[in-house]
Amino acid sequence: MFTTETIRHPDGRTSKVFRAGQGPLVVWLHGPKGIRGRDPVIAELAKRHTVVAPLAPGFADIAELDEIRNVHELALHYDDVLQALGLDAVTLVGHSFGAMAAAEVAAHFPRRVARLVLISPIGLWQDQHPLPDMFGQVPYMTIDTLLWKAGKAIPSMADPADEPNDPVERQVAIAQALTSVAKFVWPLPDRGLRRRLPRITAQTLVIAGAEDRFVPASYAEEFASLIRGAGMAIIPDAAHMVPYEQPTEVFRKLDGWITAKDRAA
Amino acid sequence: MKFHWFHLMPYPYLPDRFRERYPSVWVDLPAGEIYDPVKGHQVYNDYLDQLEFAERAGFDGICVNEHHQNGYGLMPSPNLMAAALARRTSKAKLIVLGNSVALYDPPTRVAEEMAMLDVLSGGRLVSGFPVGTGMDTAFCYGANPATLRDKYREGVELILRAWKTRKPFAFNGKYTQLRYVNPWPVPLQTPHPPIWIPGGGSIETWEWCVENDFLYAYLSYWGYESGRPVMDGFWETVDRLGGERNPYRAGFLQFVGVADNDADAERLYAEPAEYFYNRCFHIGPGYYSPPGYSSVATIRRGVNSAVVQASKHLRTASVTWKHLIDDGVVVAGSPQTIIDRLNDMADKINVGHVMLLCQFGNMPMETVLYNTARFARDVMPKLRNRFEEHEDRWWPKTTVEVQKPASVRLAAE
Repeated sequence: MFTTETIRHPDGRTSKVFRAGQGPLVVWLHGPKGIRGRDPVIAELAKRHTVVAPLAPGFADIAELDEIRNVHELALHYDDVLQALGLDAVTLVGHSFGAMAAAEVAAHFPRRVARLVLISPIGLWQDQHPLPDMFGQVPYMTIDTLLWKAGKAIPSMADPADEPNDPVERQVAIAQALTSVAKFVWPLPDRGLRRRLPRITAQTLVIAGAEDRFVPASYAEEFASLIRGAGMAIIPDAAHMVPYEQPTEVFRKLDGWITAKDRAA
Repeated sequence: MKFHWFHLMPYPYLPDRFRERYPSVWVDLPAGEIYDPVKGHQVYNDYLDQLEFAERAGFDGICVNEHHQNGYGLMPSPNLMAAALARRTSKAKLIVLGNSVALYDPPTRVAEEMAMLDVLSGGRLVSGFPVGTGMDTAFCYGANPATLRDKYREGVELILRAWKTRKPFAFNGKYTQLRYVNPWPVPLQTPHPPIWIPGGGSIETWEWCVENDFLYAYLSYWGYESGRPVMDGFWETVDRLGGERNPYRAGFLQFVGVADNDADAERLYAEPAEYFYNRCFHIGPGYYSPPGYSSVATIRRGVNSAVVQASKHLRTASVTWKHLIDDGVVVAGSPQTIIDRLNDMADKINVGHVMLLCQFGNMPMETVLYNTARFARDVMPKLRNRFEEHEDRWWPKTTVEVQKPASVRLAAE
């Protein structure tokens, strides 16, 4: 269902980019689960869009993180990716850690991003609503209890065809994915994004699952309040993994919003 | 063979039914609820007395280490304990198995304090540089596990350069930038104290130790049989990199309990051993391996650290004395039993530096002193000659006469 391509950064590093579907283009920045071969979110998006989905640095090879030292360099990394793909003024959709990265890109490079959709974003810290420790309170192999409404991944995201069968390689894959997130959010997911959110000029929609046990609704509200003109949508019967738990509902909202914005423009 | 008396300084008043009542002995065990500083006053002083007693009994070295927010390790600063010991001892080497270099900014602070200890003690310091456990570094000190080892290596490099370079220099590192590196004092030992690296089963650490001629100390809490995969990995690395299999380039930690016979050993040591393994080593499973802490190569090799082993051993059932003895986790019994076991250990894992836990858990003072004295009198002499054909290049070269405190000198006159 996907094609993949490898793009080259100016310093010689490479990034893997997935592509699927046809229609108006959206760029998808995935969350802590990476991208699966039959990724249900990309499948849903690809029904009506051309989806371009770069794999976050470190997920395929941990060494990719060596020269991306902080969130500013992470934003530069994605600017490189969009530059290499010849994309400007994109619709950028991110989930969880990917939403944090998307917000950083839109704040660092406002002209790169025309529309921004932040789904269950992390990247802020509220003392009144501390986030549970996604790395410490549970063994990180069972982080699913925190992220999914049902306490475990939906079947299409636990697809054995896309997971290494070897238990050690599976452990390596999980460790690489979580290290790639941890590098930018340890020990707390606050790198000063709050100060940068007002820089965002993109038309922005914030989406959150009503039953998110990881990131409370107050976070989505703060994102929406700090980004000029941002809208907000709460999806019932879903938790932090809302785009996987309620893909139809999430992307019906998203498409309706895009259409409305197009009509207004 | 050399023998070192190692103290973890456990808190001996952890509540009953500990495992049911608290998720972890480490990181988030509420200090304000459990730690009583009035009792703590006695605990610290008793523990320092025990370390001083070990010198008098004849141990070669006395060891302190570094842990943070930990109910079984009350030494967030091993340097403070070593400083107290430096004034009260004169023969034993001070083996300081902190400092977790990546936790100190700038790392030259470590160079300064280690040099202070070396000068104060008359050149008796062993300088230990652990990377630190995931609990200590990532969870308690907020260090990013993705960059921890890289930062640690850079810090050690800076400290060694500071000790070897005799004039100020600038350091432009990835994690530390300093315009003037020029720490005072310089160590008494030249160019610097021996470097010991306490480690788990990280492949990169083995290579790094061999390449830099550091001593590798495996602080296993599970006995030498279960420590073999790690020590084998280390010795294979020594072979592969063309080093000599000198047993003095390795250290190993062992629980020990000397008695007249097996039954006597059980009477003396079963309770404190079970206290240690069932309370002190009750570690929240989410804490032992933060993402990025272990390299991909280490995960693929499948060698687990002492702490990971702990969580596996303890996840379900309580540990009993029988299990600890049968698995060789604790070596206890008559002196001959212990001599046989330590000879077997020397044969199997080839370690010249044996670090002994003669105090563990909530062991009473008199038992600690008894265990220490009997080990020194009945066991040590029988093993002294092991490995005497090898030169120990990882041991302090104390070249000055150690000055004793005036109060001690006057009392002696």
